[in-house]
Amino acid sequence: MLEIKCPYCGKRSQNEFSYGGDGTIKRPALGEEISTKDWDDFVYFRDNPRGKHTELWQHVSGCRQWFKASRDTATHEIFSTCKMNEDFNE
Amino acid sequence: MSDTNISALQFDHKIGLFGDHEDKQDLLKISEIKNLSIFQVAKFRKSDVQSNQIKIDGLSLPQENPLISANENIRILWIGPETWLCILTNSNLKNLISSACNDNDFAITDLSHSRATVEIKGSHTLDVIKKGSPLNVNENVFKEGNCANTTYNGINILIDFISNNPKTIRLYALRSFGGSFYHSITDAALEFGYEGV
Repeated sequence: MLEIKCPYCGKRSQNEFSYGGDGTIKRPALGEEISTKDWDDFVYFRDNPRGKHTELWQHVSGCRQWFKASRDTATHEIFSTCKMNEDFNE
Repeated sequence: MSDTNISALQFDHKIGLFGDHEDKQDLLKISEIKNLSIFQVAKFRKSDVQSNQIKIDGLSLPQENPLISANENIRILWIGPETWLCILTNSNLKNLISSACNDNDFAITDLSHSRATVEIKGSHTLDVIKKGSPLNVNENVFKEGNCANTTYNGINILIDFISNNPKTIRLYALRSFGGSFYHSITDAALEFGYEGV
């Protein structure tokens, strides 16, 4: 079982968390002209990297906060976590 | 508001001795706590109020996990950033919250009828928790005066560590999960023997 460090609650079991997808996706700016392909890429297409990956997680059975996690998709090692408005301290 | 006719566990909670109770002196005691007034207090994101300056019945709002502020009338549990659960023993004390927390800065939601509350008391209390919850309840990590949102057999619960001697905790689950949750707890307690009170 993985232990994930919630930036608000500290180390908790993976059971309490929910994966929220790729944490690197940026929504196109409001009011900006955007091609159908760019919109398609934003909504549907994701990379599937092997190795270090920035992800979103939610402490759904705890404080219910979203946060960012840097995780190795091959080994499942979690390098660090941080609040949504912070950057990783690595 | 909190004086309901039918408590959340009225048809589940049984009085008596259960499980491996024979010839044991220090049995677990499991009870349903009724008629609590439970309010969620959440500070609005746009509010400029410093929540650490707010006092409810003389108690500060805890600012981080897993802290609790408590007196004989009210327990204030940190359940998230700028979010607290205020548990009152008497519904007439609701004005303590509304007078301290201006409704321009805080959302106050009455959750009194939406929770099933189980209290476990006895030396094996934490063993019962360990059987269903991934929370680390070892001593010095989770102790008296702490609270935590976690799961018990997959059911979201809030644990309030009331006292270390005798070990007493209160568990809050959504009312609709109350029966299932209660049976999870009592199944786990059979091994130690328990008294439903």
